[in-house]
Amino acid sequence: MSGEMQVTSLTKTTAEEPEGEAARTDQPPAAPPGKAPKSSEGSVLNAFSSAFLVLWVIMAAGPLIWVMVNSLRESSDITGNPFGWPTSLSFENFSNAWSDANIGKYAANSLIILCGSLPGTMLLGSMAAYVIARFSFRGNRVIYMLFAGGMMFPIILAVVPLFFVMDNFGLLDTRHGIMLAYIAYSLPFTTFFMTSFFRTLPGSVAEAATIDGASHTRTFFQIMLPMAKPGLISIGIFNFLGQWNQYFLPLALNSTDPDKALLTQGLAELSVNQGYEGDWGALFAGLSIAMIPILVVYMVFQRQVQEGLTAGAVK
Amino acid sequence: MGSTSDVNRRDVIKRAAALGLVAVPGMTALSACASGSDDSGDDKVDKGKKTDENPLGVNKEAGAEVVIFNGGYGDQYAKDAHKVYEKSYGKVKHASTQKIRTKMQPRMVKGNPPDVINNSGAENMDIASLIEDKQVADLEALLDAPSLFDSSKTVREMLLPGVVEKGTFGGDKLYQLNYSYTVYGTWYSQTALDKLEVEYPKTWDEMLAVCAKAKKEGMAGWTYAGKHPYYFAFTMYPFIAKIGGADVLKAIDNLEPDAWKHEAVKKAFDAYYELRAKGYILKGTPGIDHIQSQTQWTKGNALFLPNGSWVENEARKTTPKDFKMTVAPPTGLDKSDAMPFETLWAEASEPFMVPAKAKNVEGGMEWLRVMMGKESTQNFTKLVSALTCVKGAADGVELPSGLSSAKAALDAAGENIVSPRLPDWYLQLHKEKVGGAIAAMMAGDIKPDEAVKRCQKAADDLSGDDSIKKYKR
Amino acid sequence: MANDVRAVDKSPTAPAPRKGGDRASFGDYLLFAATLVLPPRFTPKKVKYNRRYRTLDKYRFISWFLVVPLLLYAVLVISPFFQAFYYSLTDWSGYSSDFNYIGLDNYTRMFEDDDFWASIKNSVVLLVVAPVVTLGLGLFFAFMLQAGGRHRKSEAISGVRGAKFFKVVYFFPQVLSVAIVGVVWGSVYDPITGPLNEVLRIVGLESWTQGWLSDPNIALYSVMFVMCWMFIGFYVVLFSAAMGSVPKDIYEAALLDGASRPKTFFRVTLPLIWDTVQTGWIYMGIQALDGFAIVYIMTINAGGPGNSTLVTPVYLYKKAFDVGQAGYATAVGVVLLIITMIFTAIMMLLSRRERIEF
Repeated sequence: MSGEMQVTSLTKTTAEEPEGEAARTDQPPAAPPGKAPKSSEGSVLNAFSSAFLVLWVIMAAGPLIWVMVNSLRESSDITGNPFGWPTSLSFENFSNAWSDANIGKYAANSLIILCGSLPGTMLLGSMAAYVIARFSFRGNRVIYMLFAGGMMFPIILAVVPLFFVMDNFGLLDTRHGIMLAYIAYSLPFTTFFMTSFFRTLPGSVAEAATIDGASHTRTFFQIMLPMAKPGLISIGIFNFLGQWNQYFLPLALNSTDPDKALLTQGLAELSVNQGYEGDWGALFAGLSIAMIPILVVYMVFQRQVQEGLTAGAVK
Repeated sequence: MGSTSDVNRRDVIKRAAALGLVAVPGMTALSACASGSDDSGDDKVDKGKKTDENPLGVNKEAGAEVVIFNGGYGDQYAKDAHKVYEKSYGKVKHASTQKIRTKMQPRMVKGNPPDVINNSGAENMDIASLIEDKQVADLEALLDAPSLFDSSKTVREMLLPGVVEKGTFGGDKLYQLNYSYTVYGTWYSQTALDKLEVEYPKTWDEMLAVCAKAKKEGMAGWTYAGKHPYYFAFTMYPFIAKIGGADVLKAIDNLEPDAWKHEAVKKAFDAYYELRAKGYILKGTPGIDHIQSQTQWTKGNALFLPNGSWVENEARKTTPKDFKMTVAPPTGLDKSDAMPFETLWAEASEPFMVPAKAKNVEGGMEWLRVMMGKESTQNFTKLVSALTCVKGAADGVELPSGLSSAKAALDAAGENIVSPRLPDWYLQLHKEKVGGAIAAMMAGDIKPDEAVKRCQKAADDLSGDDSIKKYKR
Repeated sequence: MANDVRAVDKSPTAPAPRKGGDRASFGDYLLFAATLVLPPRFTPKKVKYNRRYRTLDKYRFISWFLVVPLLLYAVLVISPFFQAFYYSLTDWSGYSSDFNYIGLDNYTRMFEDDDFWASIKNSVVLLVVAPVVTLGLGLFFAFMLQAGGRHRKSEAISGVRGAKFFKVVYFFPQVLSVAIVGVVWGSVYDPITGPLNEVLRIVGLESWTQGWLSDPNIALYSVMFVMCWMFIGFYVVLFSAAMGSVPKDIYEAALLDGASRPKTFFRVTLPLIWDTVQTGWIYMGIQALDGFAIVYIMTINAGGPGNSTLVTPVYLYKKAFDVGQAGYATAVGVVLLIITMIFTAIMMLLSRRERIEF
């Protein structure tokens, strides 16, 4: 199958499209550039709105920058004055947070879990979503609602029974157990958004493939999944963020062995620890260690995040 | 199990269903044995032979597992005690955490708890519920064993007053041993008082005068842990007892109707409210936590701080060398006080328990016996600047400024020690309701009358709540 | 597996179906059933050339693709929730496996529980106000980024310069863990060493300094602001994307008609992306109803001062773990779940209207 087909056919499938979805037509061709109206009302509004936009940049990034700057200051300076530059550029706070709190090891543990749980989530989520989005069968709606409804469940309500379920299966305090739990609790979000994504994909390609004799499985893996790549990437990034930041599940299901603790758990211990010792510098350093990698990952993939939202969540 | 995939799959579904639906009745079946006697008898290690050296009959080979709360006291003192224990018995598996409840509760429910839990910290397990559920071993055998401090006496005879009472819940058996001995009171820097050329105030008028003088110097009179307002109770409860007598606190503990409406409570609240009204509280105090309040205090921004004797260790990093940290009993109201100025709140704290379903219950108790020996108690006092619950254990040990003042205050108080039970019996009432009412009053949101009303209502609500076990003293 | 096929083969004289000669025989059913669990390449010939094979192939594919996700989901997500329902009918303490069935006592108890009602009140306030603020600001920023720029020659509308930069920065809070956000904002709100009061002091607004989390009148709003802060970036990006997919000539027409930008926004943009707004509303409402970590980490006494920031999940947590009333706590959780479902249902019903096509 060639990639060109994706581009050329923008019409909707007919056969297996679940009903109730509004049909989407091609966008009308762009109108010829017209003359822009004169803008006199603009200047005041512009000044005002620009100021507001800049203000929110300060609001959004300010606290984070403040934490990072403070992580380089000494604890006694921080309590003296909230603002101020580091007197000497020392990374002592960081080395304290790193070595005392084992942040490096915890980050590695988190990464190992995500190596299993993230692909698993995306695979299982897309499989379910694909079937729900593109096949009509009895129970389709029910299964869809079951998954979508899962987004509403407060995890806190399920944690204790889940603990016993995991225990019965021998999954407690194991890496694969955490991975399975992460996958299961990411399914609602993944399935919900991947379903809407698969619905927007043109059906004719899949149909053509089926007529060519490709099995459903092959159609899925070799045609539909590659076509859904933008959606997969953006939902994948959201799952990455969600699972990386997950706090409740490891707290309940992975609490026995300190060597297996994940980053969020390590940070929680660190922040409580600093609370007892009053070492603000190390606390801010720990927060920075937790924030910076995730912000870097986001900046690298920010285009995909935004494109994914455009492609997947809007329609 | 069949060989076809169909059967396998059905089996999987069956297992899933069993978990989802059958697991619940299964739990009740399991609980049927749990409530009778120990259902985990199989897991327990064999007992050893009782000898003079080994009065509890600990299995010499079996290991023990100890989980320490890694808070203000750290966990080095426990690691040192492990070495002493290991001289005679098996290896000790050590773990420490700040989140006792999160880590221990699942293991309690599963029935494989460690042998000793240092059930402490902001996230500790509700001991009353645990005892109710028969999850805690009683420590009577330990109390009757000879002390490692003075072998002519039993462990019980070596305990400071109030330790046993504090560890019993309704009955007469000791379930929880509070290892450390805390002196609560008004903490201050002797240096700061000297600079102001004042003595520690003994009556409330003196207190207000001192605060006024401090205010002139640009210093606040008081600060406290606004985010954890129950810190205020450390001076408030003994203050109430001072004004109206120890029975007022007893009535409050027993949830007697109108206990909070006693005149002494109102007077105490009025007095503290005056601090607020006259602007003697450090600005921003209602929104800061204990560490922040301690830091502001050691920086000299406020004169007085209601706290416990752990503060010296906790605030070590920010305390200036010439601070001369001192604790004094809470200032009294006036000459008509029912109890003398020396009256203060002191009690055993830092709870340790041995789970009933632990594998090596005897080992756990023996570890606690080791902790109450000469070596461990003195090591503890030296390491973390705190007293232990063992009589005379700190004699001859060189103490830092704050702790030696605490010991002196304790000695001066003699019999005039009050120890309210509200924090142990009804934690939520103490911490959130009473603490919350005092916090609102000190923040200026409500008047003392309203604070009294709120406390009384909370106590009445609790008294009418059947789901909470009640205690009397 | 081979067993299955042979078993089917051995019964060629399966009893005919009672009626409808059109229907397949019992044996065929078995064969079809067997095929469902076999990989496609093992499909028996008899089945493969049957005219219903296409349907069978479809169902086989559907069930194969659904079985693993559904199973995992059912065991690890659905079943714990059903168990939670059961626990809510018991007096379980949460500290042992010993408990009694007490019927609906936990639910009736809730009616007289002032703290519970206080928590519901706060949660509902969050549920109503937080989405309005977040979505409102999100729409405003998105529209500004999309159409707030100076007019350029060739385009009817244009985004402000650096729109991309704004979007990237606005999204920052969204990528952080709530635990981190809670600790960071806890320090920001600190009345003495926090930067917020310090900024006010520096710019000469000393009288505006507040005990952000200690004044019962504003504590809930301080909490709410943090929630909004976390999610606004997400909605800016989402709404920008939605607005970006609105064809430019629609704007052009509106602007040529002389409509001002606010008017364009309310008359043109908002109706066109209303669908996205509603989805966002549901999502934000669910987030607002949760709000556990922020309140638990930041506020005084976790829900204070008094009960002024107590939200239902925090109350649940306290009941379950602080006082050992796990049974009652799960009952509170069930009520919370029901409220969430009612909210979602209402929002879904409201959104059942014709979409605007473009």
